[in-house]
Amino acid sequence: MGAFPGKHGRRSRRALAAGGAAALMLAAAACGSSSGSGGQQGNTGGTKAAGGTAAYALPPNVLPNYIFPFDSSTYFSTANTQYFQYLMYRPLYWFGNGASPTLNTSLSVADAPVFDGNKVTITMKDWKWSNGESVTAQDVMFWIHMLQAVGSADWGADVPGGFPSNVSNVTAVSPTELTMTMNQSFNHTWFTYNELSQITPMPKAWDRTADGASDCTNNESDCSAVYNYLNTQAGQMTSWATSPIWGVVDGPWKLQSFNSDGNSTFVPNKDYSGPVKPTLAQFKELPFTTESAEYNVLQGGGNQITVGYLPSTDAPKKPADATVGSNPVSGYYLSPLYLWSINYFPINEQSTTGNGPIDKQLYFRQALQYLVNQASVISGPLHGYGFPTVGPVGSYPATDYLSSTGKEGDPFPYNPAKAKELLEEHGWKVVPNGVSTCEDTAKCGDGVKEGQGLQFNFPYANGIGWIDEMVDQLQSNASLVGIKLNVEPKPFDQVTAIAAGNCVAAKISCDWDMALWGGGWSFSPDYYPSGETLFMSGSAANSSGFSDPENDKLINESLTANSLDPLYQWQDYLATKLPENWVPNGVYQLTEVANNLQGVVPQSTTGALNPENWYFVK
Amino acid sequence: MTAFLIRRLLQAIVVLLLVTVITFILLRAIPGNVAIAILGPAAYRNPQAIAQFNAQYGFNKPWYSQYLLWLGHLLQGNLGYSWNLNQSVASLLGSHLPKTIALVGISTAIAIAVAIPVGLWQAVKRNTIIDYAFTSFSFLFYAAPSFFIGTVLILVFADKLQWFAAEAPQGNLWNDLTDWHAMTLPVLTLTLVTLALFSRYMRSAVLDNITEDFVRTARAKGVPRRRILFRHVLRNSLIPIATLVGLSLPGIMSGALITESVFNYQGMGYLFFQQANKQDYPTLLGIVVVVAVATIIGSLIADVLYAILDPRVRYVSA
Repeated sequence: MGAFPGKHGRRSRRALAAGGAAALMLAAAACGSSSGSGGQQGNTGGTKAAGGTAAYALPPNVLPNYIFPFDSSTYFSTANTQYFQYLMYRPLYWFGNGASPTLNTSLSVADAPVFDGNKVTITMKDWKWSNGESVTAQDVMFWIHMLQAVGSADWGADVPGGFPSNVSNVTAVSPTELTMTMNQSFNHTWFTYNELSQITPMPKAWDRTADGASDCTNNESDCSAVYNYLNTQAGQMTSWATSPIWGVVDGPWKLQSFNSDGNSTFVPNKDYSGPVKPTLAQFKELPFTTESAEYNVLQGGGNQITVGYLPSTDAPKKPADATVGSNPVSGYYLSPLYLWSINYFPINEQSTTGNGPIDKQLYFRQALQYLVNQASVISGPLHGYGFPTVGPVGSYPATDYLSSTGKEGDPFPYNPAKAKELLEEHGWKVVPNGVSTCEDTAKCGDGVKEGQGLQFNFPYANGIGWIDEMVDQLQSNASLVGIKLNVEPKPFDQVTAIAAGNCVAAKISCDWDMALWGGGWSFSPDYYPSGETLFMSGSAANSSGFSDPENDKLINESLTANSLDPLYQWQDYLATKLPENWVPNGVYQLTEVANNLQGVVPQSTTGALNPENWYFVK
Repeated sequence: MTAFLIRRLLQAIVVLLLVTVITFILLRAIPGNVAIAILGPAAYRNPQAIAQFNAQYGFNKPWYSQYLLWLGHLLQGNLGYSWNLNQSVASLLGSHLPKTIALVGISTAIAIAVAIPVGLWQAVKRNTIIDYAFTSFSFLFYAAPSFFIGTVLILVFADKLQWFAAEAPQGNLWNDLTDWHAMTLPVLTLTLVTLALFSRYMRSAVLDNITEDFVRTARAKGVPRRRILFRHVLRNSLIPIATLVGLSLPGIMSGALITESVFNYQGMGYLFFQQANKQDYPTLLGIVVVVAVATIIGSLIADVLYAILDPRVRYVSA
């Protein structure tokens, strides 16, 4: 299983923050690296008050539209999972400790998995559904059987050959214990973070069809009909809040009202078994058409929004040594949210435009990478709110996953002279501000024709301010060495439809050279940054078509060894092979929090919301 | 009149079919894979799912087969299903269209109610300071894009003076119609743009009419000035306005798109814009059909009004 790009609205940026480190950094920011009218921690000195309504502004044009926590690819989105379903239906394992995207055993429905060779034992905690029934191992079996029955077509995170194909003998030994046998010895962290992380227990009350009770829990053959029934129920949005099916929850919140515009109101689930019960009386989610519309409301006062966001274009520039810059909105404190991700643009090695042979040349990809000025994009268009992508593993926050080489920073700092040198060394006549051409085919590489020019089509997702500016800058930088990028602004969804996956594997058109959708890759809901889905030869999300046997070998080693060393070796190898070209990881959201609301910071870098932690102060 | 109406209705059906054919072809020309656009990038994982989707919904057939399939469903009252929004298109239109009708209807009604007397007055007071002042205002609002007007209104009336909300009502239609604190600015934005257009036309129409022979004759017969204006000039001047209102409908709808975005109003214009970005064909086609029908009806109403306002028109012999 794995994460996937896109489907995160317009602000499709994600990064990671390690819990303690990020919390300290945020606290440090609050202490004064910068200050604005809104402050940064709000009213920290007040007393905690029970009750109140917190209104959360959803990202622009991001609406929950699916309640059943078994999302097909159409509905597999942050809006549906992290912003909506997780509030009511808890995954078996919760990831996010403060800002760190690590396993949170306290918020998980089961104890941490115990590995014994190839055998995994999962022990359920004594959590309850809101109808009084226990959350049992059978509820996990219900989900797994559903996955086995319809997952290949209807589970958005399905990866052929992945879970559950890589396990056998999944058995509910008792109501509190479940065992499964892996068909080979996998890295325990990988198996927990990228496979078990997908599971969401489902209550017995859902094991039914229109004709009455069914038994998907025990018989896989019953699951297709149950899925169809639940999927149909999930299509009846106006009845979600009153549905006896969706009203059975094990999360901290229950849906009180919902309309198809995306306005949701949640109230506390009084039977929630988790460690932190909601303090708020209500939690609301408000839809917005655009960032500007949200910002207008935020500025207009009236406390309509308790937790909103500042459009990055309106953010004052952040000092380089600060975590947060000044805040132009009064009555709120500012907290940047980076998600656990990397950002890149693919150079399509499978391109059918005639440029495929050029795209395959490592020296060319490296030359272009030297023209990406990550530092300048971060300090300029991103107003300081971003981190460089240094390879296939996210650079922020500092995690154990990032190698020491990765921690050294951008492996290709901006260097047009180096780019020119690389091209000239490989037989190109460099024509600054023109189109460089191949003069020596023996040096240019296999398949490159004499006289062939360096000009490429480059669809990119427009409408995101810093992305637009970054593309302009890259186009200008590339022209310095005669690389002509014919940029084509398109809607985000069109770019992802064209280029976010492997066009050969998906059997769709490959007539594009480079593409940028701005969202890169999110490590959620697969939190371990291994590369089997994104970089393995022929994999579905390998959008550049990059293929390298050594890379494949290193990935496989990282999936099986219970050590981080193979992961380090792999990322150090791949960072300079450029299966994709790295671009900065911009801030996902500049969160504005009302001064009298606490518990929002640190924000989870997995994208999940935990309003049960929020409370007002007097 | 009956024959005219039948003829116009038949023409309308042909126009509607042409609109849907052209829209259908244009939508298919959007780059990118339809199945992936609808299923999401995660569909890349599963080429079989893409093929299954294409077969299930006819995307593997020639465009004309797809069109006929869609048309067949349409004739049975089935506008299709929006995968992106997990709702039937009929349901989406049912929730979004009334909101846009409310916004466009109220603002157009206000604009007409204000534009007619203003245009009339400007014509009567032509080339005076009052005329120049209104002309300046008209040009200003006619030239300014609706997002600019909306933003300025928010800055002044919501942020600074705090008289009205910066956001349109969030809720059902009844809420929209009763929450004037929130509804005023979006209505005002659309009204100002439309008002400028209507008042200019009205002024021109009145100026044309007051130099006509029948006005001179009425004056010579000693008919009071007020009666000439309201009984003769006004009625004749309304003819181009009636036509204009009918034909302005698509323009007003497109203005509503921007206004809806600025004021976070979940109407049909905004729905169209967002789903166009997501290649949500069923929703786009559904909206196109509705707007085309509205435009045709608007044009029809304009023609009927034209006949009522101007008895010289004899459609039966046309």
